[in-house]
Amino acid sequence: MNEPTLAEKSLMTDSFILGLSSGSACLVTCGMVMFPYIMAGRGGVMKIVLDLSVFLATRLVIYFVLATLAWYFGQAFLTSGIVRTFVTGSLYVMFAIILIWYSIGRKKNMKCPAAIVTKVEDKRLVPVLLGVVNSIGFCPALLLILTKGAAQGSLAQSWLAFLAFFTGSSLWFLPLPFAGKLKKKQVIETIGIFATGLAGAIFIIKGLILITGGILNG
Amino acid sequence: MDNSSIAVSPKKTFGKALLYTLPMFLVTFMFITGGKPDFSDPARTVAILVTFFGMNLLYFLMHYSGKTDRYRAIIFVIFALTLSFTLIRNMILIRNSMSFSQADILECKIPFCHLVIPMMILPAALTKSIIFPGTILGGFADIASMVVLWLAATVVLGRGFCSWGCFYGGWDDGFSRLRKKPLVKKISDSWKWMPFAVLLLVALTAALTMIPTYCNWICPFKAVTEFEKVTNVESAVKAGVFISLFGGLVVALPVVTRKRTQCSFLCPMGAISTLSNRITPFTMKIDTNACTQCFKCVDSCPMFALTREGIKEGTVSMFCSKCGKCMDSCSRNAIHFGIRGVPAGTRKNFSRNLFLFVSFLFMAVFSSQPIVFTLNSLYNLIF
Repeated sequence: MNEPTLAEKSLMTDSFILGLSSGSACLVTCGMVMFPYIMAGRGGVMKIVLDLSVFLATRLVIYFVLATLAWYFGQAFLTSGIVRTFVTGSLYVMFAIILIWYSIGRKKNMKCPAAIVTKVEDKRLVPVLLGVVNSIGFCPALLLILTKGAAQGSLAQSWLAFLAFFTGSSLWFLPLPFAGKLKKKQVIETIGIFATGLAGAIFIIKGLILITGGILNG
Repeated sequence: MDNSSIAVSPKKTFGKALLYTLPMFLVTFMFITGGKPDFSDPARTVAILVTFFGMNLLYFLMHYSGKTDRYRAIIFVIFALTLSFTLIRNMILIRNSMSFSQADILECKIPFCHLVIPMMILPAALTKSIIFPGTILGGFADIASMVVLWLAATVVLGRGFCSWGCFYGGWDDGFSRLRKKPLVKKISDSWKWMPFAVLLLVALTAALTMIPTYCNWICPFKAVTEFEKVTNVESAVKAGVFISLFGGLVVALPVVTRKRTQCSFLCPMGAISTLSNRITPFTMKIDTNACTQCFKCVDSCPMFALTREGIKEGTVSMFCSKCGKCMDSCSRNAIHFGIRGVPAGTRKNFSRNLFLFVSFLFMAVFSSQPIVFTLNSLYNLIF
């Protein structure tokens, strides 16, 4: 297998950071919905692992679809290099500011959009539906990764970005099977919120670099 | 109330303090001279003697006066300043500039610093490669000796490394002492978890990209050591980030809060050291019998390690860097260095003597060479 290029590494890092920030933000909002359902205790850790796997697989499929759509719209609308640079840079800055606001400034008692899904009668569908709602639910990090996907030159790069995004966000769900044993949920949430804020700061800088670079290069 | 525990004072008589200093005299002499005293060069001889007597005088004063942080901070700040001087002088001698080029990276000529360690662990474990462009063994600031020294200091001192061994901690420690009273007093306690978020981001992204992302994008101390040559917008922004973080977290915020804000709110190494505090033999203990709950220690703590609730319960959080500032502020010697397993309020002086010897030794090992080098250079410059 070929070693990833510097550009691919950078793409993966950015997307991974966004995924981390998205996962932490969603986990804080939706933790209270996800924990009780996934921890419902029908079948122990194995059942939790299975539900979690279905949930994550659904998210991965949705992200590949979104990657494809983002890339398609990017090809259709961001036609020239300069438009691509300015639009991407500006959207980075705008969404990153929203991301920081979302992570630090938002109300703690925000409602999780996935809550409604848990009321479905066929409980086998719940992990799938949770995966769908969790993937496309409003999250500034998702807007940022969509922008990134749209700015890529090839579909494979867009997929790579979303794959790294998925990996970063999924890390937060891995401790779920052991959530009952975690003593410091509050601490993990706090660290997650800070990670989200940091990701926002990183993308503001990235956006400014793109815009400044665009101005200097005409 | 157990009055016997209050009566124990860390102060010693002149003779006893001198006796405690003697072993340090011998060990520091070995370290500073490298075991082979060579006094042929007058400039170096002066530098060695000043460093040697200066260090031992401060160690003696720690025992004689019973104050820890007051004298620790002097060496710690001098260490940070002289280390930056040493690095910059070396950069200028080798490259004629504080900045390094891509060629320097490819030739692995970048001096190693311990802040890279959190980013090295995952790539080293997964791919058996070191993701820092430095020399593994031999040469100036090589990777192997730095990692071994850091590991030893961390296992023994825990987060005490941040106050006794860190190359850069002296910067914000020094700035946090400039004002007598803080301008900003209320800072949310939860900010102390920020270094863990930084650690999470930099460790994982470094594993993903095989690039030390903290050094590349965040480290505020790049502003006073070495940084990437500004050749394009990205490197200019990086330089801007380094300078802004240094100005904000290392200079401005410590001055207005009297806290070590860079160490408490950013440093990923601090997060690792914080976790290591759980396994080290030395801890801070609160003698609840002697404590009057005046909370002077809480106000004085520069690392957000003490809370009023904690003091009432007799507990110190894992964020403690064992700087000794709380001890200096306590007139009843209620908060003290302790040894794991030994009850609070007992063997206070023994624990303090043992901790001081070990931690000061680490500080002497880390700091003596930069101090000698700086004094030597200054002597040559003046005369």
